[in-house]
Amino acid sequence: MSYNKPIPNKGTHTKPFWEGAEAGKLMLPRCQDCNRVHWYPRHICPNCHSMNLEWIEASGEGTVHTFAVQHLVFGKWAEEAPFVTAYIDLKEGDRMLTVLRGVDPNKPEEIKVGAQVKVEFEQANDDTFIPYWRVVEGQ
Amino acid sequence: MPGQLSKAAAIVGAAEANEIGFLEEPITALQLHIEAIKNLSDQTGIPISRIDGVFSTGWSTELCEHLGITPKYIDTTAVGGCSFEMHVHHAMAAIHAGIIDIALVSHGENGHSRRKIGGGGSGNYGAGAGALSPAAEMTMAYGLTGAPSNYAHAMVRHMHRYGTAREDYAHIAKVTRDWATLNPRAAMYSKDKHPFGGPITVEQVEESRVIAWPLTILHCCMVADHGGAVFVCSPKIAASLNTRPVWIAGAGESMGHGNMLEMQDFTATSASKSAQSAYTMAGMGPADMEMALIYDSFTITAAITAEMLGLAAPGEGHLLWKDGHAAPGGRLPINTNGGGLSFNHSGMYGMPLLIEAYRQLSGTAEDGIHGDKGKQTSARTCVVNGTGGSLSTTGTLVLIADD
Repeated sequence: MSYNKPIPNKGTHTKPFWEGAEAGKLMLPRCQDCNRVHWYPRHICPNCHSMNLEWIEASGEGTVHTFAVQHLVFGKWAEEAPFVTAYIDLKEGDRMLTVLRGVDPNKPEEIKVGAQVKVEFEQANDDTFIPYWRVVEGQ
Repeated sequence: MPGQLSKAAAIVGAAEANEIGFLEEPITALQLHIEAIKNLSDQTGIPISRIDGVFSTGWSTELCEHLGITPKYIDTTAVGGCSFEMHVHHAMAAIHAGIIDIALVSHGENGHSRRKIGGGGSGNYGAGAGALSPAAEMTMAYGLTGAPSNYAHAMVRHMHRYGTAREDYAHIAKVTRDWATLNPRAAMYSKDKHPFGGPITVEQVEESRVIAWPLTILHCCMVADHGGAVFVCSPKIAASLNTRPVWIAGAGESMGHGNMLEMQDFTATSASKSAQSAYTMAGMGPADMEMALIYDSFTITAAITAEMLGLAAPGEGHLLWKDGHAAPGGRLPINTNGGGLSFNHSGMYGMPLLIEAYRQLSGTAEDGIHGDKGKQTSARTCVVNGTGGSLSTTGTLVLIADD
């Protein structure tokens, strides 16, 4: 396997997310009482404190909330520097961190807050597929 | 009308380790603590054996054992660089409740020396609760490696929302350096003291090395060695000492999130809440503040915090520096010691804020050397704000000089 970046330790309550990722689907937790989607996955709804949570298949669409260009980096990611990190506003609600693809880290002035993005998954090991977000072309 | 707790206790002394900054001979965090505590005891005349409350970021048992004391009240709140402002808040409450009379708040951190000899001790604060936290699970893949890598996202959002340019924030670094050139203990006091010390220009800030765009290295605080301690005492003890008390008129604390993923609004921190609590307790407001000491981990931190404290309108925090108000001779001096940007920052900067606030309001801020004008201001009131984690936690104090 050529993927050499940090691979998350999978939690005990996030199996549907990782299984979805393997199938190319973005799965998000939603509260069945207040209907709000949240991220990262909780044991309890952070909005209404209900424990009636379910997983839904999301659109995989979002927009850039904010970003930064990482120059001073440690560990395996240092080989990629400079690269762009971003917080993504998910279409279904709440926010996700990513390394943003489809942008030039040497031209940060051209990266737009609010740009439309789509999710994609990269295989990291036998059963881990990590979501990354890419700016939709032609905006 | 001030709250019940207002002025229930005073800071009666503030001291630092013998040497601070980029020490040539490596020093441990514990030694930085102990030197500061000894200097504080000498300054105030309070014997170490009289301390009955100990407040630190996770160090309290080790400190007590090392000092051979057995206090009645122990607090190890460790929520980042604002912990020390919270310690003062907690100490005042414990004193008001009649549990203790003499509280030690102590800090030692060898941010520079640890590169040679390791850190040791406890009190470090991470984003999230470790590898098994779901926040870490969903963020660890993406290459964020430290405070600048996180804070840069807030700066981009703040610029986007208010239409500001990076250069606007560069004035904060320039003006804060101007203060450092009035403070011989500042790491960046002069070229003699540090190769990159002495005055800087906005252009130099902008053209320095990029760490995490838009943050260049001169938009970032340093990581050096620092130890410091203050005593918080009951009014009765304060009246018995030769040092001048600085009264704690108001205190407040709050938090927004741990992991920056959970920061709802990247242009605001919980300092709006902690400041409101502190102002309410004091029966005062931002217009009553004659100076401010603000944790400036990055230029953007100082700008946002000034807005949260009500010292500037939203989106206009940077103007306090750009227009010269925060500078030496300005109407609202800010970070008169030279800040985390140019004085000293060891990792958690809450203690240097307390020490400088005590010195300014007790009239013991050092004068400049060689006959230069010093950094002592005429301020009688000061708002102090610490920020911890990734713009996560905040502690605010309103301090006032003795009549």
